[in-house]
Amino acid sequence: MNSFHPPRTVHVLFGAISTDEKGSLTRLIRAELLKLRTTRLSYGLLATAAGLTALFSVLEASRAGSGKAVAPLYTAAGFNAVITGGVWALLLATVLGVTVSSGEFRHATATQTYLATPRRGRVMAAKAVAAACAGAVFGLAGYVIAAGTGLIFVAARGYHVPVGDATMARYGIGHVIAAALLAAVGVALGSLIRSQLAAVIGVFVWAVVVESLLGGLFNAIQPYLPYTAATTLAGSSLGGAAFGPAHDAATTAAPLPFAAATALIAGVAILLSVVAARTTVPRDVT
Amino acid sequence: MSVIEVSGLTKRFGPVLAVDQLSFAVEPGEVVGFLGANGAGKTTTLRMLLGLVRPDAGTATINGHAYADLPEPLHQVGAVLEASSFHPGRTARNHLRVQALAGQADPSRVDGVLELTGLTGAADRRVGGFSLGMRQRLGLATALLTDPDLLILDEPANGLDPDGVQWLRDLLRGLAAGGATVLVSSHILAEVAQTVDSVVILDRGRLVAQSSLADLTAGAGNLEDAFFKLTREAFR
Repeated sequence: MNSFHPPRTVHVLFGAISTDEKGSLTRLIRAELLKLRTTRLSYGLLATAAGLTALFSVLEASRAGSGKAVAPLYTAAGFNAVITGGVWALLLATVLGVTVSSGEFRHATATQTYLATPRRGRVMAAKAVAAACAGAVFGLAGYVIAAGTGLIFVAARGYHVPVGDATMARYGIGHVIAAALLAAVGVALGSLIRSQLAAVIGVFVWAVVVESLLGGLFNAIQPYLPYTAATTLAGSSLGGAAFGPAHDAATTAAPLPFAAATALIAGVAILLSVVAARTTVPRDVT
Repeated sequence: MSVIEVSGLTKRFGPVLAVDQLSFAVEPGEVVGFLGANGAGKTTTLRMLLGLVRPDAGTATINGHAYADLPEPLHQVGAVLEASSFHPGRTARNHLRVQALAGQADPSRVDGVLELTGLTGAADRRVGGFSLGMRQRLGLATALLTDPDLLILDEPANGLDPDGVQWLRDLLRGLAAGGATVLVSSHILAEVAQTVDSVVILDRGRLVAQSSLADLTAGAGNLEDAFFKLTREAFR
């Protein structure tokens, strides 16, 4: 007789799941997606991601080739810098994930959510999947805007596109996967740190300050920093999306391969989810 | 079997003993007032009963199960705990659609409960602009979505205007007439006296009385006098 065997991590996180319960998990995911679709914050974050991506891509495309340090658009490096504008979609997908979980405490809606589904691990799993779906939309939007900006500028200047179709496709898929997984990381973070403001600030400080500093100081670990790995998955050069010392640092390190970067970010999402499920999630809701 | 069975329930928040060795039961079809001063431990008890707060000791069951083990819990229990637990940016109708999906309610009931609670006209407004009374009504609408046999209401009359209080009283009487069991907490004794069959009285986390309303008031005149007599005795 065939039976469904979920991976061990699913057991660890949420207990054994029967076929009936898979149906209820699907329903919970639909409820979480409906929550996302019925608040303006989701659309506001998507618009912010789109706007910042457009702004940074246009700025990079405009200044491409204007000096020694800025590669021209007919080189892969120059085109790459324009695509890097899409990392704003990754950051804002993380923020969306944070709001999906911490928002339940900000607005005290956790009470009704847990009354409907007292098994809190299952709520968290549904939130992670729903946030990942929304994150994928953010990633796709970021890619379309960043790549579109690059292609328009390339065409306007009469260049040939410096990267092949396969690479372009990889950048697109990388954007979608990276943003989806980072949104799931955001859900876990927002479950660990119930204060929405603190968690959102934490995301920006980690991505913009901590990883930039660590990546600049220790080039060898730069590829393994999770946000940096997500940006390279989305097509950015190693350190290309960083600020300060790590930005295009003279590094001998290579970015993680596609599958390894995907596994790394998924691993971070699972690890943080397990920690949250064991510590903050079961706490009293008063 | 009792619908609600609380046994030796204890909860401490830091130095404060919020609920102390509390035991009581609620039988099917009863409308029970859960009474006590502010801070007596009513809300903490209800939250433990509903699996939101973990007791330090004791058990609280509904239909013989801990809340977390109830299959389709919202089909057995409807609860209104606080009037503010809505996302302010979501409309009343969308809030109910989300809860219907999560709680496995028939989505066609959304319009029905909006009408029952007098919110049809405000259904597509964002909850952030709702008055306290409208939030109470939306909370009741949410609890009634799944047509449960047991209702647990924490201070449902808070924020209702006199019309609203009258409406709530009629609603509870209608539900009781239909066979529902209701546990309703309150510190407004005069209001409760018009609605309930029996009372559970709590003082500083401890049970001071569980009795039918008739027995309780027989020796003391009215519920208010009986309440003060009992809680003062407990204090000594």
